[in-house]
Amino acid sequence: MSKPGKFSFGVFVFVTLFLHIPLAILVISSFNSSKSMRWEGFSLKWYHELFYNSGPLWHSFWNSIIVAISSSVVATVIGTLGAIGLCWYSFRMKKAIQTLTFFPVILPEIIIGVSILIFFNKIGLSLSLFTIFLAHVTFNIPFVLMTVMARLEEFDFSIVEAAYDLGATEIDMLLRVILPISMPGIIAGLLLAITLSLEDFVITFFVAGPGSSTLPLHIFSMIRFGVSPTINALSVVIIVGTALLALSSKNLYSSLLKR
Amino acid sequence: MRKNYGPIYVGPVAFWLCAFLSVPLLITLSYSFLAKGLYGGVEPHFSLAAYRSLFNTAVLKVLLNTIIIAVLSTALMVGLALPTAYYIARSSQKNLLLMLIIIPFWTNFLIRIYAWITILGSNGLLNSFLMGVGLTDGPIQFLYNRGAIILVIVYTTIPFAIFPLYSTIEKFDFSLIEAAMDLGASKTKALWKIMIPNIRSGITTAVLFTFIPTFGNFAVPKLVGGTSSWMLGNLIERELNITRNWPLASSMSVVLTFVTMLAVLFFMRSQNKKEL
Amino acid sequence: MRQTGAAFHQQRVDSVKSSQVTVENVSKSFGDFSALKNASLTIAKGGFYSMLGPSGCGKTTLLRIIGGFETPTEGDVCFDGVSILPLPPNKRQVNTIFQNYALFPHLTVFENVAFPLRLKKIAAAEIKRAVQENLELVRMETESKKYPSQLSGGQKQRVAIARALINQPRVLLLDEPLSALDAKLRQHMLLELDAIHDKVGITFIYVTHDQAEALSVSDQVCVLNKGEIQQIGSPAEIYESPANEFVARFIGETNYIHGTIAAVTDNEHALFDSPDYGNFTIYLDKKVQQGSKVALTVRPEKIRVAPEKPDNLPPDVNVLHGVVEDMIYTGFQTKYFIRVSKDKEPLIVFRQHVQYFMDEKPISWKDKVCLWWNTKDSFMVEVSK
Ligand SMILES: Nc1ncnc2c1ncn2[C@@H]1O[C@H](COP(=O)(O)OP(=O)(O)OP(=O)(O)O)[C@@H](O)[C@H]1O
Ligand SMILES: [Mg+2]
Repeated sequence: MSKPGKFSFGVFVFVTLFLHIPLAILVISSFNSSKSMRWEGFSLKWYHELFYNSGPLWHSFWNSIIVAISSSVVATVIGTLGAIGLCWYSFRMKKAIQTLTFFPVILPEIIIGVSILIFFNKIGLSLSLFTIFLAHVTFNIPFVLMTVMARLEEFDFSIVEAAYDLGATEIDMLLRVILPISMPGIIAGLLLAITLSLEDFVITFFVAGPGSSTLPLHIFSMIRFGVSPTINALSVVIIVGTALLALSSKNLYSSLLKR
Repeated sequence: MRKNYGPIYVGPVAFWLCAFLSVPLLITLSYSFLAKGLYGGVEPHFSLAAYRSLFNTAVLKVLLNTIIIAVLSTALMVGLALPTAYYIARSSQKNLLLMLIIIPFWTNFLIRIYAWITILGSNGLLNSFLMGVGLTDGPIQFLYNRGAIILVIVYTTIPFAIFPLYSTIEKFDFSLIEAAMDLGASKTKALWKIMIPNIRSGITTAVLFTFIPTFGNFAVPKLVGGTSSWMLGNLIERELNITRNWPLASSMSVVLTFVTMLAVLFFMRSQNKKEL
Repeated sequence: MRQTGAAFHQQRVDSVKSSQVTVENVSKSFGDFSALKNASLTIAKGGFYSMLGPSGCGKTTLLRIIGGFETPTEGDVCFDGVSILPLPPNKRQVNTIFQNYALFPHLTVFENVAFPLRLKKIAAAEIKRAVQENLELVRMETESKKYPSQLSGGQKQRVAIARALINQPRVLLLDEPLSALDAKLRQHMLLELDAIHDKVGITFIYVTHDQAEALSVSDQVCVLNKGEIQQIGSPAEIYESPANEFVARFIGETNYIHGTIAAVTDNEHALFDSPDYGNFTIYLDKKVQQGSKVALTVRPEKIRVAPEKPDNLPPDVNVLHGVVEDMIYTGFQTKYFIRVSKDKEPLIVFRQHVQYFMDEKPISWKDKVCLWWNTKDSFMVEVSK
């Protein structure tokens, strides 16, 4: 087998360094005692600042958690049911609904943000955490749906027919066959939805009201305000947190798939 | 015969997406054809003023800038991603190398933008370094221009080009390259003539997945762009939140949606052609 | 262990509840495409009935109609004379063995078999007993804790059978149950299926496109093509006297000879005149009139071949002469293509190898040979005036 050449190796190294170096710089400067980028000695003061002196940041963090959990649970329920219907049944308008589910994935986020803001304004719903929740459920549904559908497609419809043949009612079948076999997909979809919700800035930017800031919105206003080493410390916490979460969910997922 | 439960399962999705996606999009479309209200909002009579305003030189300049940024960034991303994905797919440590690409991607999007601000800002690392070695006296402004936008877009979006390319290259049968070399082609020529045509679907996916978010980008130009390097997304936000010309914001959203749809249709057509 | 199995079997036979299945003028269309055309058949109580036909001929469709997964466009399906069409599949007392087994991947072997009983909220001890008995029936009692992914193809098959039988259906539907197994295992499982059928005594409806499977275990075979029933009969009838050219060609290999009836000599024989093969006597398996155009079929293994015409041939044989055009050696026999007529396909003849015995002389390529067969071994498949 021929090996990849020097050129592709060079580009790979360049891209990898390009992706890692800025984050490495963030990590290092979070331990810098100086406010500037000049190294003036090791210090944990920005972490202290982050954990003890950043009330609004933590407030927005909890907002993010509330929105992420509520919106992803709702999106997971709706998306899972939808995946079952779209994967294993045929009915009128199926194609249209399938096409509709692609929209939130392909449309630029700003379009969803703008149109849903105009919609809330039109129906007179004032902006709050609730409007953020509604918007997040909307963009999360397709991702859950696709993840669960990918799982369901590994199975043949005949297991549903077999369950029915053996005397199961629709509810029996849902609870005893479909949900157990699609559980890894459902969990993966839920985790994906939580991540996307925690991460979302653009759509939230449009539908957030006064006092309903989420963590990304808070970070945004901090960045606009100017470079602050507290953000460096926060970045490190986020990097470590996401890595831990990703690794543990990966383990959880593969242990679910073991069967 | 058993009852068809399909509509019951799909009902909630259909309802939710109609209520919070289709209806908002249709309202936005209809707003683009109305006159603007005095203090934001719309007046309920038909008007093409919003579409006429699209042809202002200021708007056209922003549109042109958006196109330039989207095309250059997409080209850069796909150009860098192709050799990178090729290297990963051909390596014996695929999963490890893939993880190297994925890990930075896990970091919050805004923080990845922020990382570049700490490097390129006027008090940033690069200026500290340049002034430290005495190359310049005062700080140089690296941010707030088109170049900075392209750099940061490439930084935040390139994994979307690497992943689809990786998965098609990984499936490609490399014995074909050996066969071509056996028949006298050089390795470069063999890769170019045999592999590239066979991974076309990966390339179009990579182009689509990078072009659409770049064209509709809003956060990156907002944070690292200047007024002279505005993109369409910034203009939409200004018309919506500051100038409060909602019909214009709507008509620009319609244009953006239209461009996206065009890109998707183009993509689907090229995918279908491949299957023939 | 076997004691319980035997006792269970005894109980099963005493209470044999199997049904006679009648399919009356059933048609099924998918849009413009008609997958089944006016099919009627009767399946005896406790029989082993096969439906045989090429891919896409409508076998699965008919089975799914009986099982309740499709509704016929027209016609009726009755169990013991009572229409079952209004009933959903789970009320029909029919169970199905699916082509890919359709075992639940998240349940153990035991739980797969117990599934129908759990739905009925039967007491745990009772479930345990019933599952145990059914697993013994298919000899899988030792594997009850495994998951389907840990089983071989043949084992999955057995679990699927045990699961389908636990509700004590009156009719068992099997859709190409052996197609996913390799050839050796297939034969073995077929015998096992036959044994299970004998033990449980319910009606089996078995769908396959493999003629050997259908012929070897069935009481009755129904041959389908393009949604239409071609012939219904015992395996021997189907093989020995195919009703038409399709059946003859689909089941095994055969030779065709077209010609006219020159004269009906007596009640049982006629003089047959073929423009390509000459005149010879045929046995009348059905009534024909002088002058009818008919097609004869002769199976390759019924034709004997030798370098020269033997002296002591009985009178009721037909003799032809030809040249060996090709031969294919397949181990247990050789297949000869013998050209008799310039314009027609060569005749196919099978010959088994006993050439070291005194009466067999080797035959090779381009040899002139003599062929003969008993008049009773050819059959008329088509007659037109
Ligand atoms: N749901 C359906 N919609 C449209 N056409 C169908 C449907 N189900 C079956 N058919 C068509 O009906 C015909 C008969 O199908 P069926 O599955 O009964 O064939 P089969 O004899 O079981 O073939 P095989 O041996 O390949 O399983 C086929 O041409 C098939 O394409
Ligand atoms: Mg079939």
